[in-house]
Amino acid sequence: MSRSASIIGAAVSRIDGPDKLTGRARYAGDFHPEGMTYAYGVYSTIARGRVVSIDTQAAMRCPGVLDVFHHGNFPSLHRSPASFAEENVVDEKRVPFEDDEVFYAGQFVALVVADSFEHARAAAYQVKVTYDEDTNTVATLAQAMEKRGSTHANDSERGDPEGAYQSAPHQVDATYTTPVETHNPMETHTTVARWIDGKLEVWDSTQGVVFTRNTLSKVFDLDPSRVIVHADFIGSGFGGKLWVWPHCIATAGAARELGRPVQFVLPRQQMFTTSGHRPETSQHVRLAADNDGTLLSIRHENVNSTSHVGTVVEACAGSTEGLYKCDNLRISHATSITDRGTPTAMRAPGAGVGLFALESAMDELAVKLGMDPLELRRKNFTDRDPGADLPYSSNHLLECYDRAAESFGWSRRTPGVGSMRDGDKIIGWGMAACNWDAMRNPCDARVTLHDDGSASVHCASQDIGTGTYTVLAQIASAELDLPLDRIDIKLGDSTFPHGPISGGSWATASLLPAVAEAARAAIDKIKEYAGKAGSPLADADPNDFVYEKGMVKDGHGKAVSIADILKPQQLASATGEAHTGGAPDSGYSFGSFGTHFVEITWEPAIAQLKVTRVVSAIDAGQIINQKSARNQVEGAIVMGMSSALFEATEYDERNARPVNNNYAEYLVPVNADMPQLDVILLDHPDYELNEFGARGIGEIGLTGMQAAVANAVYHATGKRVRDLPVMLDKLMDETE
Amino acid sequence: MRQFEYKRAENTRGAVHAHAGQASAYLAGGTTLIDLVKLDIMQPERLVDVNRLDLADIEHSDGGTLKIGAMVRNTTLAYDQTVQTDYSVLSEALLQGASRQLRNRATTGGNVMQRVRCSYFRDGVSPCNKREPGSGCSAIDGHNREVFAVLGTSEHCIAVHPSDMCVAMAAIGATVHLASADSERAVDFLDFHRLPGDTPHIEHDLKDDELITHITLDAPIKGAGSTYIKLRDRSSYQFALASCAAIVALDGDTIREARIALGGVGTKPWRCKQAEAALQGASATDESFKQAAQIAMEGATPYKHNAFKIPLARKAIVRALRDAAERARRSAGEPT
Amino acid sequence: MMDSNDTPVDVRLSLRVNGQMRQLDVPPNVVLLDALRDRLGLTGTKKGCDHGQCGACTVLVNGEAINSCLALAVVHDGDDITTVEGLAGEADLSPLQAAFLEHDAYQCGYCTPGQLMSATELLSNRKVGTTDAEVAEAMSGNICRCGAYKNILSAIQETRQQHAGAAID
Repeated sequence: MSRSASIIGAAVSRIDGPDKLTGRARYAGDFHPEGMTYAYGVYSTIARGRVVSIDTQAAMRCPGVLDVFHHGNFPSLHRSPASFAEENVVDEKRVPFEDDEVFYAGQFVALVVADSFEHARAAAYQVKVTYDEDTNTVATLAQAMEKRGSTHANDSERGDPEGAYQSAPHQVDATYTTPVETHNPMETHTTVARWIDGKLEVWDSTQGVVFTRNTLSKVFDLDPSRVIVHADFIGSGFGGKLWVWPHCIATAGAARELGRPVQFVLPRQQMFTTSGHRPETSQHVRLAADNDGTLLSIRHENVNSTSHVGTVVEACAGSTEGLYKCDNLRISHATSITDRGTPTAMRAPGAGVGLFALESAMDELAVKLGMDPLELRRKNFTDRDPGADLPYSSNHLLECYDRAAESFGWSRRTPGVGSMRDGDKIIGWGMAACNWDAMRNPCDARVTLHDDGSASVHCASQDIGTGTYTVLAQIASAELDLPLDRIDIKLGDSTFPHGPISGGSWATASLLPAVAEAARAAIDKIKEYAGKAGSPLADADPNDFVYEKGMVKDGHGKAVSIADILKPQQLASATGEAHTGGAPDSGYSFGSFGTHFVEITWEPAIAQLKVTRVVSAIDAGQIINQKSARNQVEGAIVMGMSSALFEATEYDERNARPVNNNYAEYLVPVNADMPQLDVILLDHPDYELNEFGARGIGEIGLTGMQAAVANAVYHATGKRVRDLPVMLDKLMDETE
Repeated sequence: MRQFEYKRAENTRGAVHAHAGQASAYLAGGTTLIDLVKLDIMQPERLVDVNRLDLADIEHSDGGTLKIGAMVRNTTLAYDQTVQTDYSVLSEALLQGASRQLRNRATTGGNVMQRVRCSYFRDGVSPCNKREPGSGCSAIDGHNREVFAVLGTSEHCIAVHPSDMCVAMAAIGATVHLASADSERAVDFLDFHRLPGDTPHIEHDLKDDELITHITLDAPIKGAGSTYIKLRDRSSYQFALASCAAIVALDGDTIREARIALGGVGTKPWRCKQAEAALQGASATDESFKQAAQIAMEGATPYKHNAFKIPLARKAIVRALRDAAERARRSAGEPT
Repeated sequence: MMDSNDTPVDVRLSLRVNGQMRQLDVPPNVVLLDALRDRLGLTGTKKGCDHGQCGACTVLVNGEAINSCLALAVVHDGDDITTVEGLAGEADLSPLQAAFLEHDAYQCGYCTPGQLMSATELLSNRKVGTTDAEVAEAMSGNICRCGAYKNILSAIQETRQQHAGAAID
């Protein structure tokens, strides 16, 4: 191996940075194929019922209108099998315009296509839809559980959680709820579709070009080779763009019917209805502990909202089984159907909200025990995954605690509620653990050495903003011993070698080994050519060949360039391909760990809450790029803070319509909300997972943040907020 | 957006003429209008562009008043030297409104004409008396936390007037100048916006054949301190949950004159004259301020999700009065 | 003006975009954002919310940062427009762009053009204060859902320090 190690772990600037900074980076909506037309949707204004009539006459008379599609005239399509193994997952199983039934407000009921965006939108407002409305709607999880009950999804148990709970000296029994959250990436879902000779070509804002290709091939009954999906750049997704949603199918269908390319950009309002969200959860946590803080029983039982057109289970207790040592445990998950769109994975699905409940309950337990919450967690640390009954491949959570606590100054915390002050403000300090699975998926890659001394890397997977382009360039640079600017990374195209979706924090761990192996295969190939007849090294012993800096050397130090090796073979390049597998079955459990320490201030005189300081320490294996990794974790912390303080999609309880479906009323942090942010990356390689020791880093930073904030809020105010988000009205005294 | 006809007005008379007699709307900064036309909530057949009218000056006027052209942008007004010196409450209110980009376009006249943020008004579907008179108010029994009022509400509408600028102007005291083709008139700022009552679709006292040309601010109160306190969930770029513009003038520690106006809680920019009267002659203490806050919020009507706004507004009032009084003290202490 | 079908006719307007005079005929209901993207082929400026709630579409009009999604194109006849495509020189990134690269002041890059335009105006704006808190407040009209705010702030502040007194734009 000729790997030059220095570039791995370096703080390399993004190789795609200049494109993003000059407007050259092209996102789905930036592709305007010849003859492109524009679509605009008509969305159901009722949450449940049937479409009685759709009057398109006025719309069809509008200038520039090409057609108006709806259930009465849209072609009949096939539902995707929605299989992860076949890589064609959809969460909303129904295809658009399948029939006249309405399952949620904001469901597509028609699609107007016109020669300009303005014409399409103007005409969409002229489509008149009448409904037979079922007014007995279910808008919230609470209403759903009351009216429809819940459906058991899965559970797991070890020991005797009930018995251990009953006999323990200290118990916590609390229910935590989290609202619907909406991904709201800056780029709304966008599809540009065109058909050429029975082939479908799509530019899509997707986290998975292969999944999108496979799904569209099922929906339109095409061989996968007849579908091409591009995603050069994605305005992020946060899980909302993992799978195909109705707009993509509707756009591709309309393009086929019209015989012209169609662009569809989902309006921001519809990001709240027809493209997924993090479901609402209700989480019942019961903990029991001995006097010294040893956990004796953990129960974490959950229900989440889902829809009529797809069942999604939010694995809230995903981290609960393995984070703490405890012999008696029960977790369970159930769903309940609301008349809302289908939920889906949102950044750190499961643990993202699950650790709010568990880590809040741990704080409540620490208060009951009169114990420092950090000590309670140290006490129950486990380096073995009790859920899987396997040792963790690499778990440095204790070091995370130590380093973050030290940096934060946790030892100066006084435990009394409201005991820390800064003038008119009360200071609260809280902490929580964070955790995310370390996963890896099969991946293919192709590396090509060119006769101009450059190299290119191809993989179908996409860079959703996490830095995939750059870390792959780093790996290729290290393996090929070439400078970064000689390496071209090609991603986001379903015709490239198969690559996984960008989700689950597994892209880095999955792609790196494939690219490295393909790079080595390319080197082997060039060595093979070097030994062939006509090569300047034809007479040398191939066993002595050493590859270095784009040259092949023989045993006597004679170095020949790639160009000179390829030329006699009448070749312009040498290619290596690789297929690497998923997580190894090596007798280990894989996970990433970390902790957040949070400072908040609460100024009771004006009811203002601010997160002022966050120190987080994260053990995510070898960090490949210090710059983009740190940025990823910081961004996840910001989103976790956002979830703690602001985010909630509100539905009208009378009719299940979202009421804050825009970026003014659905609050996310702005620059002025930023706390002082200090992220410590531990950087311990996990070689059991892959040869680089890298685990994923995109999601862990979100987990536990809401609990750390809520625990700090409790420390300041004595108010235990168990229902997110922690808004100021929940902290005001009723007597004020 | 629907199709509409576009007319660029070259002068006030032309603007008024182009606007009168049909479904028209004046286009100034466009930050409210284009938003609502895109949503198909406003459906003008003609837009009269007033951006090139000669109404962009800020000038001193009779009796120490300040005359602000309707087309003065929020950014320009906020950083105007006189405004920063004599009406800091207005500068602060403007700079806490919206975002820099929006303030760069939003105009003085347009800000006065801002429409409500009620999601039921904006969804185009729910019953809304403002959008469709007589259809009912969905907010009263709906989701009514952020942009819904507790003062000046009626059974027909509870939407907040969302402006920050107007709250400061209500405290300062101002006059709205209106021009029609052949006449001009002036309306007291506090009378310009209407309470919803049973006609929430009538929001202001601007006739179809009129245009706002200027707003005149009353002369500043001598020696007064002023400030604007805006309370919200996130630190910026959000409408007020509760806000208070306060102006306090002192004689020693006695309040000579006080002005209080509220945002985020009223169906119009909300002046609190009774609370002001209670402060006159009182000592400038937290106790007086708390009492004034109590008076200001008397008669407030809480709804399902916004009851917290009543105590929150009191907090804003107390803090604003305290800070304004502190500034008055400081300026009194400064050598002149 | 309407034609016989009550259709408003296109309006001819001239825009000076990134230093180049561009003429186009647009219906009055076309906003500057869509005119740039769909009619002038300048897709660097992004649509995030289409309602002035996110800042992704920020461009400079006569040097001032505005939300191009809420600006009718016809209103800006004769105006000087700068978009993200107009920031870099022939070969080099502008100092601000270079600082964004160095500080990793983005992730997905979709809000970046708006952040850059907003920051470009800010750096030449003598009215807004220069402390971190003041700059963060002034940049709060640009949402970054990836949460790269810390790096955006440090990139702006470094540009300011390194080019104090010099023309940034």
